[in-house]
Amino acid sequence: MNKTILAAIVAALSILAVGPATAEPARDAILADLLLQAKTADGGFGGFAAERGKGFFLASPASGKPDTPSCTTCHTPSPQNTGKTRAGKEIKPMAVSANPARFTDPAEVEKWFGRNCNSVLGRDCTAAEKGDFITFMASQ
Amino acid sequence: MSAEKGGTAVRIWDLPLRLFHWLLVLSISVGAATGFLAPAWWLGVHVWAGYAVGALIVFRLIWAAYGSEYSRVASFLFSPRETIAHLAGIVRGRSSGHLGHNPAGAVMIFGLAALVSTIVVTGFIVLGGQEKHGVLAGVVSYATGHAAREIHQVLAFALLALVAAHVAGVVVESRLESENLALAMLTGRKRLAAGRSAPKMRSSRPLAALVTLAIVAALATAGGATLAGMPPLGLRDLPPNPVYAKECGACHHAFHPSLLPAASWDGMMAHLDDHFGEDASLPEATRVALAAWLVANASETWDSEAANVFRRVSPDEPWRITATRYWKRRHQNIDPTVFTAKAVGGKANCNACHGDASSGRYDDQAIAIPKEKS
Ligand code: HEC
Ligand code: HEC
Ligand code: HEC
Repeated sequence: MNKTILAAIVAALSILAVGPATAEPARDAILADLLLQAKTADGGFGGFAAERGKGFFLASPASGKPDTPSCTTCHTPSPQNTGKTRAGKEIKPMAVSANPARFTDPAEVEKWFGRNCNSVLGRDCTAAEKGDFITFMASQ
Repeated sequence: MSAEKGGTAVRIWDLPLRLFHWLLVLSISVGAATGFLAPAWWLGVHVWAGYAVGALIVFRLIWAAYGSEYSRVASFLFSPRETIAHLAGIVRGRSSGHLGHNPAGAVMIFGLAALVSTIVVTGFIVLGGQEKHGVLAGVVSYATGHAAREIHQVLAFALLALVAAHVAGVVVESRLESENLALAMLTGRKRLAAGRSAPKMRSSRPLAALVTLAIVAALATAGGATLAGMPPLGLRDLPPNPVYAKECGACHHAFHPSLLPAASWDGMMAHLDDHFGEDASLPEATRVALAAWLVANASETWDSEAANVFRRVSPDEPWRITATRYWKRRHQNIDPTVFTAKAVGGKANCNACHGDASSGRYDDQAIAIPKEKS
């Protein structure tokens, strides 16, 4: 409960600070929550950046499982593209402009970051990485 | 050394008998062609051929009692001694001068009738047990259907041999009798030997035959309807599980739980963090609930064809349906590029080709490889 209120306050603050992130309340709440976590982890954290998110998305860390060297393995290098799972099922585009439902269900976002970061990086993503990623996709 | 023929031709084979004969030839040909050659999704036609052959045999049994003289079974019941004498005659190239079926022909008829009937009956046992279709779906287990399939196949080859022998016999006897016997089965007429007068022939009793046929048909329909009303043995309608459909259908088609045994589901659900080279972790409560649901509906609890064939998992990859011997064998003739094509996506997307994948039935007749959109 406390956390939600705090998140709301941070959301309000961040809108004042950097303007409305994505103009979608559910997504903004997720970003606000991530921002809170990022600030808790690093007091000097200055906010999410789409440019960093882009670099993160396109990188090939290959530190996770061998079949999934990069986010682009499944999501393709273009956020506008329809991706494909390794089992062959289509994945809707990650870019919010192409798929407005993206990053609006906190449980889904948490679940997929948990899985895909572990598969690709072999570790959990940091709140900063997650926020940058969503910010980048929201700008696409 | 053929018997001299006079000019008079007499009607030996009545019309219903001739129709029976040639319709039987047609339905057995369709049955053999679809059984030996056609791909799996032709099963429907094969089964209809089976129904037709079965109906024709029933008709022939009735006509054996009420048909005209040479259709009646009494006209071609011969003692073993007569049969041996006839065969000895053939060896010496002599015709025995039978107007109707001769003793060798009679043996062939009884052999064919027994063989064809057994093929039809075993066919319906296979259909009911393995495919859970047809009148016996509610009463025959997969194991019984599987055993019947072996018999059905062996007998089908035996039938090919017997049909070849039948045709050879017709050719030989036609030469001995200097009478085209195949043509006689078309026209119904045979010429009498010189100096022989037409024998006394009983005529058919169509009304009695019709009444009997109606009674048999009514009984068969009633029995068939009762059987067909029974739910298929070992199949059930699984209430949809939206959580399963969402969580386990995110990266591939949500496999029906009947496709793997409980031990495989158990093992797979305990290692979702390394699921075929990927992390597919779930919140613990969801994981436990889905694992329990999968185990409760695992292949052991079904008697469908798919549940039976995939129960024998690969020892190396007990979690992969596509690693089972059966899966590999049934899909080995499909070009690998078909699986990678956009319309299919991969081996794991069973539902791209199997229209009934979500029910776990995997019916032969629901198979359709999607055409690639350019
Ligand atoms: C093995 C394939 C695969 C890889 C690699 C992968 N993803 Fe995904 N991702 C998926 C699938 C499948 C989904 C769920 C389908 C969907 O949401 O349309 C998904 C969904 C997501 C979601 C949830 C989106 C939402 O709307 O809720 C996020 C966030 C995400 N991925 C981030 C990433 C990041 C970050 C990486 C790289 C570190 C990555 N993914 C790499 C397959 C992959
Ligand atoms: C994050 C993506 C993902 C999720 C979620 C996922 N799977 Fe998979 N699954 C895969 C991949 C990738 C494969 C391997 C496909 C291949 O090699 O063709 C696979 C393969 C399988 C196979 C073997 C298919 C075969 O080849 O026979 C089964 C069974 C299976 N998954 C069951 C499940 C179940 C049950 C769940 C839900 C708990 C689940 N999967 C959720 C990605 C996923
Ligand atoms: C590219 C299309 C395609 C895909 C994908 C596919 N199949 Fe098939 N499957 C076929 C074809 C075609 C046949 C018939 C082969 C034959 O004639 O013997 C078949 C046959 C079968 C049969 C035997 C059916 C019967 O009644 O005799 C089963 C069971 C089966 N497949 C299960 C599966 C499962 C489970 C999957 C997913 C893991 C799968 N298939 C994926 C095309 C496909």
